[in-house]
Amino acid sequence: MADSPTVGYADALFSVAEAEGNLSAVEDELFGFAQTFQANEELRSTLADASVPVARRLQLIEDLLDGKASATTASLISMVVSAGRANDLPSIVDAFVDRSAGSRNKAVATVRSAIDLTSEQRQRLTEAIKTSTGKDVEVKVVIDPSVLGGAITEIGDDIIDGSVRRRLNQLRESFR
Amino acid sequence: MVASLVSLMSIVAFAGPASASGESVGSCVAEKFEESLHHHQGESDHVTSEDIHHVAHDEAVQDELEACLEAPSPILPELTEIIWGGAAFLILLVIMVKKGFPAVKGAMDARSEKIRADLDAAEQAKTDAQAVQSDYEAQLADAKTESARIIEEARVTADQLRTDLSVQAEASIAEMREKAAADVEAQKAQAIADLRAEVSGIALGAAERVVQSSLDADAQARLIDAYIDEVTGSNG
Repeated sequence: MADSPTVGYADALFSVAEAEGNLSAVEDELFGFAQTFQANEELRSTLADASVPVARRLQLIEDLLDGKASATTASLISMVVSAGRANDLPSIVDAFVDRSAGSRNKAVATVRSAIDLTSEQRQRLTEAIKTSTGKDVEVKVVIDPSVLGGAITEIGDDIIDGSVRRRLNQLRESFR
Repeated sequence: MVASLVSLMSIVAFAGPASASGESVGSCVAEKFEESLHHHQGESDHVTSEDIHHVAHDEAVQDELEACLEAPSPILPELTEIIWGGAAFLILLVIMVKKGFPAVKGAMDARSEKIRADLDAAEQAKTDAQAVQSDYEAQLADAKTESARIIEEARVTADQLRTDLSVQAEASIAEMREKAAADVEAQKAQAIADLRAEVSGIALGAAERVVQSSLDADAQARLIDAYIDEVTGSNG
């Protein structure tokens, strides 16, 4: 459960993105940046380091997103970093995605996979989740090599684990 | 002391007249010879050698002279000596009875009393010494009894301590054996678990490497499709 400041920032991002009229693109770009931010230790420590001048950190964001994301997305990320909330960026983005999906009466299904899913696979998985849970979801794919194969889907507190990693762990447990 | 000095002076004072009145053999002979010579010379004023010769050879005179030569009695003194001696003896006896004997008796009584007191003191000292000896003997007996009791008590304590230590040692040994056995079992179990974990780790590592090497794009796609089918089939 996101805390109040996180939800506040997420609502602010949602309002700006909705006002700019490119909510879906901003949502995808923010989600992708958050995944990169979590996976890259050096980027995480630099953006969260208060000793690094804010201008330099903002310049780093601009350099990273130049040509890869909209100006709205870069501005929103810069706003969060300038406010000293860089460490909260993943949770703010999660809350933002939830808020955005909620505005469309959908839930977010985070799918962790070793490879990206094709559009056809995303569509089938969306339908499969709706069939299985009864929820309309939007699938967000996170590339995670540790999954090895298959996928792990998280919908709120529900987890559907069909990864090769899980099977190896089960095999490891059976040895004990 | 005074009585002794008076008796000595009396003896000296009366001895002089007594010896002057006595007749020796010489004086007896001289007196008899002179008396015979006077009787022989008669009216003559001179004494001649013939007179002396005649008197000397006169048998009657010789008899008288021989009478003088007879020895006086060795037992009976002269009468005057008896008188003077007896008087002195009586005086001395009176003085001794009046003064000497009481003094001697007092001295003897005092000495006797002193000796008696000394004897009493010695007796008392002996009694005290015997009492002290008895006390010492009693204390010695008590000490012997006490020492025997302490030794016996120490022996009992030592026996008890030895027994307790033996019991404790046996219990400790048994506990150590049980602990050692438990440790061995635990180490054995741990070794088996470690070995199993090591084997499983090696096997899983190998399996993971095989899986990673065998999961190409098509295999990954098939796994995703299989996962989607699994989600579809789970139906809640």
